[in-house]
Amino acid sequence: MSAAAPLRDPAARGRVTVLLLGLAVLWPLLVVAKFRPAALFDAQNLRTVGGFLAGFLPPETGGEFLGYLLRATLETLAIATAGIALAFALAVPLALLTTRALAVAEIGPGPGRRRSRLVFHALRALLTVLRGIPELVWALVFVRVFGLGPAAGVLALALTYGGMLAKVYAEILDAGDARPARAILAAGGGRLPALLYGLLPGAAQELTSYTVYRWECAVRASVVMGFVGAGGLGQLMDQAMKMLNGGEASTILLAFLALVLAADRLSGALRRRLGEAGTRGAAAGVGAAGGTFVLAVAAAVAASFAFLELGFGVLLTRESAALVGDFVAAFLPPDLTPAWLAKVGYGAVETLAISAVGTLLAVGGGFALALPAAGRYGAAAERTTRFALNALRSVPELVWATITALSVGLGPFAGVLALALHTAGVLGRLFAEALQNAPTQPRDALIEAGARPAVAFLYGTLPEVLPQLAAYTLYRWEMNIRMAAILGFVGAGGLGQLLYFELSLFNYAQASTVIAAMLLLSIAVDAASAGLRRRLAG
Amino acid sequence: MQNPLRRLALKGALVCALAAALNPAVAEQPVLRVSAIPDEAPTELQRKFAPLGKYLEQETGMKVSFVPVSDYAAVVESLATKKLDLAWLGGFTFVQAKIRTNGTALPIVQREEDAKFTSKFVTADPAIKSFADLKGKTFAFGSPSSTSGHLMPRFFLQQAGVSPDKDFHNVAFSGAHDATVAFVAAGKADAGVLNASVWDKLVEQKKVDAGKVRVFATTPPYFDYNWTVRGDLDPALVKKLTEAFLKLDAKNPAHAEIMQLQCASKFIPTRRENYDGIEQAAKSAGLLK
Repeated sequence: MSAAAPLRDPAARGRVTVLLLGLAVLWPLLVVAKFRPAALFDAQNLRTVGGFLAGFLPPETGGEFLGYLLRATLETLAIATAGIALAFALAVPLALLTTRALAVAEIGPGPGRRRSRLVFHALRALLTVLRGIPELVWALVFVRVFGLGPAAGVLALALTYGGMLAKVYAEILDAGDARPARAILAAGGGRLPALLYGLLPGAAQELTSYTVYRWECAVRASVVMGFVGAGGLGQLMDQAMKMLNGGEASTILLAFLALVLAADRLSGALRRRLGEAGTRGAAAGVGAAGGTFVLAVAAAVAASFAFLELGFGVLLTRESAALVGDFVAAFLPPDLTPAWLAKVGYGAVETLAISAVGTLLAVGGGFALALPAAGRYGAAAERTTRFALNALRSVPELVWATITALSVGLGPFAGVLALALHTAGVLGRLFAEALQNAPTQPRDALIEAGARPAVAFLYGTLPEVLPQLAAYTLYRWEMNIRMAAILGFVGAGGLGQLLYFELSLFNYAQASTVIAAMLLLSIAVDAASAGLRRRLAG
Repeated sequence: MQNPLRRLALKGALVCALAAALNPAVAEQPVLRVSAIPDEAPTELQRKFAPLGKYLEQETGMKVSFVPVSDYAAVVESLATKKLDLAWLGGFTFVQAKIRTNGTALPIVQREEDAKFTSKFVTADPAIKSFADLKGKTFAFGSPSSTSGHLMPRFFLQQAGVSPDKDFHNVAFSGAHDATVAFVAAGKADAGVLNASVWDKLVEQKKVDAGKVRVFATTPPYFDYNWTVRGDLDPALVKKLTEAFLKLDAKNPAHAEIMQLQCASKFIPTRRENYDGIEQAAKSAGLLK
């Protein structure tokens, strides 16, 4: 193998240096996250987890329980649907006010330019706040203001998803061809005609498609919100897991998987049809199918509101407005004493560590599974690993956290493992797709020139997919920082645990400091991740 | 696929119409809204409440609706914002409710057992025999808002010279009493503490392996649970409710099921002053400012 010698990895030294430097940065994070992999393999812990998982079989099938389950499933669906409907109502005006495509000020200097810039930036900041606070936190707060039941979940979804939808709507409108709208505005047309005739014809399909996708996400989110008492499947799951009732947990998990799969299929089918309609030109107008779709959506929204018996009407009375006012006032001003800030600061570091270590573990695990899942080692390995990846990502982080806490005890490390397991499933699937789509010519050329497969992979395939893998990873990290903040509610430490404790004791000034810290952390991570992605792309 | 404007307008109109139509100001029969702090699984609480709810419907002539919930503080806040009329509270949650309603929340009755309530410290670790052995261990309380699962045990631990925040390796909140036992039995926590009445019930129903999990300490007695009404509820209704509870008798076959589910021998009147001790304990434990 003398030919192989000069073909050794010339960048090996550089790679090792980067790896070691990375570990040096990572070390403090590992310490904060109480990283103790040995606990995983402790015989007593393995027995406990084994016993718990063995309890999953057979799934609970009692009539009374199935009744609860059916109701909870419907409630979850209704919360997601009603929440998205309200989010849509909130997002449309916000998007129209924050899109550059409709900004008269963009056309040229005018009298109101300065004021409209100010309004624009204020609204963009509002969107950041709405998106930056996890829906679970909104839910926890709303349970107090709006009383018990699903109303809190619906409103929490409405705010967070309203912020997300508004941002993405504005981006879609910005990315489209702005000239028709500008022309209408420049000719003295109002914003509404500019929107209807200038922007929507080009963007409607993408807007609808994104909304449908978000509805699918809302179904998952409304399950998670149940963990803080906003009703639905999550609430049942929380109880079953707390009582370590494996039979009930597995039935709920199966119902959850079926629901997510059905939502996924429905959303996929709808988006495909939208895509087809978009390419068929004339068919994109209001046809029988379009009308049916509108009616079906309207019926689903109406049914959801009716089923949940939300009764937002009581909010409109003067008395309850005063109560809500008092409640909000209790959060102000936040507690900014040095002692409390230090505690919140440590909580933030803990949350950051959980998210970073969890995501990194997921990258390793996801990559290891992605290689066989991309079909590099035969069809049988591909099918097996694809199944494993689907199983990993189908179980929500909060459920994984309950299982990992059993195995390594309550604390940050349980949160790290929970994030890692779920994220490995998500990233593994994305990585596998990226690997499959990578062009094979560079690798084939290297192999033909006599390079070993590992080297051919490093220099032929990896450079092709690396920016994409890194972008996926950073994107997941952004999501995981929010999830890491939430995992504290089930005992994984960090900001979530602080928030839960202070809210329980009605220390609202302290709680509002924690919420502000969550917001800042999420904004900082978004900015860092966006900066890194720009550098990768450039 | 369709005109997006029409879809938008339709959806918008529907949301508005629904918001108006669903305004529940149209209730015909007066409703008594009841809830309970979720110290046990909310589904279990709902099951336990069903016969008592029927009885209260008979006695008051009102429709009784029970709202299960999984957050303690939400019950307190709902009472304060007048979204509940009657609630089953713990000692500490009552003190919180009293403070949040400017002293108007009114405890009407409690079980005879609640006047001398205790908490049990449990473990599955043979090496733990006293509070001193808990240092450096993982410890599970119930909910942070729980009297018997957090406040009073924390208070008595501090009296015995053990500071949970400094001396324990990790303090976890299981969320509910039966969950604490499950955590301790599963080795998730080295030791934990729960309400004596739930412990007795779990032992009686054989839901806990008594050979594995054992009690190693018990707190001195204190006042706990009660039924509280919001301060501005119609006094005639408050009187009716109080009398209805006081009439309940475990020996009366018609009441046997209710009393058995409530784990009560009989209900006795109670008053705000009974909980002054809890308030003091909460202040000295640092849970009340």
